Amino acid sequence: MNIIETHSLSKFYGKERGITDVTISVKQGEVFGFIGPNGAGKSTTIRTLLGLLAPNSGEAMLFGQSILENGHELRRRIGYLPSEVDYYAEMTSRELLEYHANLYGLENAGEKIRELAHYFELDLDRPISDLSFGNKKKCAIIQTVVHEPELLILDEPTSGLDPLMQNRFFELLESRNSKGTTIFFSSHILSEIQRLCDRAAIIRGGEITAVEDITTLLAKQMKKVRLVLASDTKVELPEGAQNQQWLGNKVLFDYVGPTKDLLQWLGRQEVVDLTLSEPDLESIFMNYYRR
Amino acid sequence: MNTVLFTKELKRNRKNTLIWTSIVLAFTLMILSIYPSFSHMGEDMVKLMSSLPEEFAKAFGMDEATWSSIIGFYATYYGIYVTLLMGIYTASTGATIIGKEERDGTAEFLLTRPISRGIVAGTKLAVLGALFIIIYLVQTLVAVIGMNLFGSEIAWDAMVAMHVHGFFLIAFFTAAGVLMGSFLSVKLNYMGPIVGMIFGSYFLNAIASATESVEWLAYLSPYHYLPLTLDQGALEPNLVACGAFAVLTALMVWVGYSRYLKRDILG
Repeated sequence: MNIIETHSLSKFYGKERGITDVTISVKQGEVFGFIGPNGAGKSTTIRTLLGLLAPNSGEAMLFGQSILENGHELRRRIGYLPSEVDYYAEMTSRELLEYHANLYGLENAGEKIRELAHYFELDLDRPISDLSFGNKKKCAIIQTVVHEPELLILDEPTSGLDPLMQNRFFELLESRNSKGTTIFFSSHILSEIQRLCDRAAIIRGGEITAVEDITTLLAKQMKKVRLVLASDTKVELPEGAQNQQWLGNKVLFDYVGPTKDLLQWLGRQEVVDLTLSEPDLESIFMNYYRR
Repeated sequence: MNTVLFTKELKRNRKNTLIWTSIVLAFTLMILSIYPSFSHMGEDMVKLMSSLPEEFAKAFGMDEATWSSIIGFYATYYGIYVTLLMGIYTASTGATIIGKEERDGTAEFLLTRPISRGIVAGTKLAVLGALFIIIYLVQTLVAVIGMNLFGSEIAWDAMVAMHVHGFFLIAFFTAAGVLMGSFLSVKLNYMGPIVGMIFGSYFLNAIASATESVEWLAYLSPYHYLPLTLDQGALEPNLVACGAFAVLTALMVWVGYSRYLKRDILG
């Protein structure tokens, strides 16, 4: 069963493009990544999925039902974590989370809230207006999961979290997923998608440019290689190298191909220094989806 | 209606309501408390006031009854201060009670809970109605108490007519606020347009009453149809106007509500 299904979903803000013909489907129990640079249409897609925005055309179905018709019932089964966290400044985290629990009709949510606050090291009694962005995000994570939803929709979920908290959050997601929770994970950070997701859709300029298994995506993933060699002599670069730039004994190039082949080639060179970095998504799109 | 949201919303508006109710009550009591000093001046006051230009007196609904009875005195100021203040409070609350969530970025939180937009908007409008009733009833009660304290007797017929007109007038302004909030940007400060609308309505009627050549202007003001000032110490309720304004009020609220249901919630 598809938990999320969109067909040719389009949304325009006046004449400005939001998303165009977005068609995706997410299966039950899947962790689905949604990658794209800022402004690509990730949040517009999510907001349309949640019924915050009305699409100009196409349809969005959650659990096989239209969000526009049965939104309030469907939202009971969803946990949504927004990228920007704006809460009632006059409340404390505890008050906000209790308010959330009351709106969901949850009974005895106090214990669960305390457990999650302890796990994420969040002081529940500080006013929200006094919280840092990271702490507001922790509060947002708790309200996303406390009612144990069947579907988590996460929009740039790790922004503001320190690495320790990111790790705890990922562990929580992995644990929930192992119990059957479906996760829609939107991010512009490829490594996060790689860690969690089974499949991912890439959105660029409001359009879906690819939907791939993560393994396929990884195989296509480009690496940026920066090498300092022992001599100025230009050597032949490995197959799959592109955009090479030589500066004396230094060379910069993008590499697409099996990592094993790159390592074997490096082993044959007199390497003084080596930097391998993940390219930004824009580069990946330019190299793999716009050719 | 969602009781959790209703309670939370009432609580959020508690401080504002308390401040505005206090201001309105302070004005009401201040007006009534100064009446005895005017009434003691008796004939002298009537003579002094008769020296005012007739147009000025007409514009503000002043006549002999203004100085000879507490209801006449109260009526003059009820129109100028009390309904304006209550109208500004309820209309500005009406304009922001729904849009405030969008302006503060909390709409995303609220509208992703398991409550329909219709329930959210309906509950917020119910809170608005409750706040309106609270401030209106408390002011009426305090006015009655104040008249008993500072006057000799209450002309109940005029008092009831004035407050019934006041009720429909303030309800109309409140609904106009809701309508305004549904059309204008949530980031706009509504206070200016609302003060302009209410003061404009009042002074349009005042100017039309004072100047024959622009009498027609009065038709543009709700104060013309629902007068608050007395004519020779009496005021009859205009039930037809009350009914028409009730319909207009309901219509504006319905349009505001319907627009809210279809509005895109931007981040």
